[in-house]
Amino acid sequence: MTTAQHPGSHASADDPRVTLDEQIGVFEPIPPYPPRTEREAEFYTLGDGEMFINIGPQHPSTHGVLRVVLKIRGEQVVDLDPVLGYLHRGVEKLCENADYHQAICYTDPLEYVSSLFMEWAPVIAFEKLLDVQVPRRAEYIRVLTGELNRVMSHIMFVGWMALDLGGLTPILWGFIERDEIVEMLAGVTGQRMLFNYYRIGGVNGDLNHDFMSRLGRWMSHATSQLEAELALLNENEIFVRRMRGLGVVDSETALRMCLSGPNLRATGVPFDVRRAHPYSVYPELDFDVVTRAEGDCLARYLLRMDEIRQSIRIIDQCLHEMPDGPVIAKLPRLLRPRPGRAYAAVEGPRGQYATYAISDGTDQPFRMRIHDPSFVNLQTVGLVMPGNLVADTMAVMASLDPIMGGVDK
Amino acid sequence: MALTREPSLPAKRDRDEVVKPIVVPNTLWDSSNPLAYDGGRPSEITHLAEIERSGAAARDDARWNGALEIIPTKADYVLDLLRANSLWPLLSGLACCAIEMMSAATSVNDMDRWGMFPFRASPRQADVLIVAGTCTTKMAGPLVRLWEQMPEPKWCVAMGDCTCSGGRYKRSYSTIQGIDRIMPVDVYVPGCPPRPEGLIYGMMKLQQLVKDRRGHWPERAIGPTVPDGI
Repeated sequence: MTTAQHPGSHASADDPRVTLDEQIGVFEPIPPYPPRTEREAEFYTLGDGEMFINIGPQHPSTHGVLRVVLKIRGEQVVDLDPVLGYLHRGVEKLCENADYHQAICYTDPLEYVSSLFMEWAPVIAFEKLLDVQVPRRAEYIRVLTGELNRVMSHIMFVGWMALDLGGLTPILWGFIERDEIVEMLAGVTGQRMLFNYYRIGGVNGDLNHDFMSRLGRWMSHATSQLEAELALLNENEIFVRRMRGLGVVDSETALRMCLSGPNLRATGVPFDVRRAHPYSVYPELDFDVVTRAEGDCLARYLLRMDEIRQSIRIIDQCLHEMPDGPVIAKLPRLLRPRPGRAYAAVEGPRGQYATYAISDGTDQPFRMRIHDPSFVNLQTVGLVMPGNLVADTMAVMASLDPIMGGVDK
Repeated sequence: MALTREPSLPAKRDRDEVVKPIVVPNTLWDSSNPLAYDGGRPSEITHLAEIERSGAAARDDARWNGALEIIPTKADYVLDLLRANSLWPLLSGLACCAIEMMSAATSVNDMDRWGMFPFRASPRQADVLIVAGTCTTKMAGPLVRLWEQMPEPKWCVAMGDCTCSGGRYKRSYSTIQGIDRIMPVDVYVPGCPPRPEGLIYGMMKLQQLVKDRRGHWPERAIGPTVPDGI
């Protein structure tokens, strides 16, 4: 970057007249530097009849700004190399320079489809550091809003997955439900998408009439509406036959690659953080951990649909069993937890969201590590894809449901 | 490729001015009487007078029965009207705001109603670049490349706080604090993220801007233009 166009002007970081003189070769598949690792040298050497094809970072099917370099032979994928970091916002470093309340505000845009879960994990970790007892009503409200968010996220997953396979209707139908849920949550949280609702020691505000009336209206038709929506894909033979047997992950590979969430349960491993390491009021609630044995794209899709039904069951129980009382514990405005470390994990729609926070006794976290399931789930693409067709790359990637905000942090 | 923003906008020239359309009310129009045009006076515009003398305009066409047949105006005005009412955005989402952009485009808030819908996947077919989401330093290069690949005339809408000014990630080491540092912006839509209605309002402002020939692209032309002095 130079400011040669403006002689005499003072070049500074705040100067809006920044000029870009260099041609940036970002769309060259082969990086402009010599290979740094053996893997890179092997990948960027073309064999007989092979070629590179570059997808991204701007591509409608990559769910954000992911860039994938495919090595193909004919129509077959030989190998692939994901290039990450196009959405790296430096959140972990920002959290170290913010106090404990502000850190939550930085973490929730990471997972912009289900942001309540990315708030939930750090909030639990900070509560462990501070030894706070959360009121029971606050826990129930967290479970209620969290499950609503899970339903919303899975509905959008269906839309995107169908969109990547060429179907436009599910996303149009799905966004009707999504907007309904989002407006409902906006009634109680005040924000439509990045809610910033969970606070250390409870939640920001009690449930209000706007939320309850919208929720009641939604619950009255949610199940029938969702079943009608799902029939669109479940009974579509083109969709089902395309997804069946595609991108199979067996349970050993899944465990070795540290998959979590629906992607792991679709391989037959009944691991759910809500049951394995219970938090909040989940031990008191009655729901099933759904599993499927096939481990292919269709199983991952059907499993998420089953999870929507379980979530609606949990919401129903929460509404019946919610106690009265305060929604937030009394805490000083400036929090200085004892020096120590705390780890918390929650089960989100994409898997295990976790936060590892280290306190040094000041009002800011000394270190905050954010574990996001999208990053871990995405690396399975490299194992699954070789041997499949180019057109199936997007289908497999969509079925793993990564969110690039969480991948790049 | 130097991408520079001028310190100030160039002075307005005569040819930038838009001629308002002359709308002749239907009650005055009688296609059999050439004098009815322009309030009963014979037209001073030569080619219109020729058309009237030839009698071609007097033909009683069933399709245009009783309606206007000729509206004298600038072709630029008509083109601007067409451009403003079919703004094709580029399907390019960077982060969180992309979800709200999709919400604006789908069933509940239907952007198609105002002619802003067909999201094109290729920058070669797009008119508007809606930058939705945090622009990081690594993404800045591809984003400028996308902008340069779009054919002229083109417009840019900065959606969300991150693209307007840096927003909640202003203090981060890896973000661009406002995309107006790397490309011209016509409309800013603040909010984290803005509601879909906010984006639609911003796009409506852009339509007004296109019709008024304001913004960063006042000199719109089709095809390559030759700079002055060559």
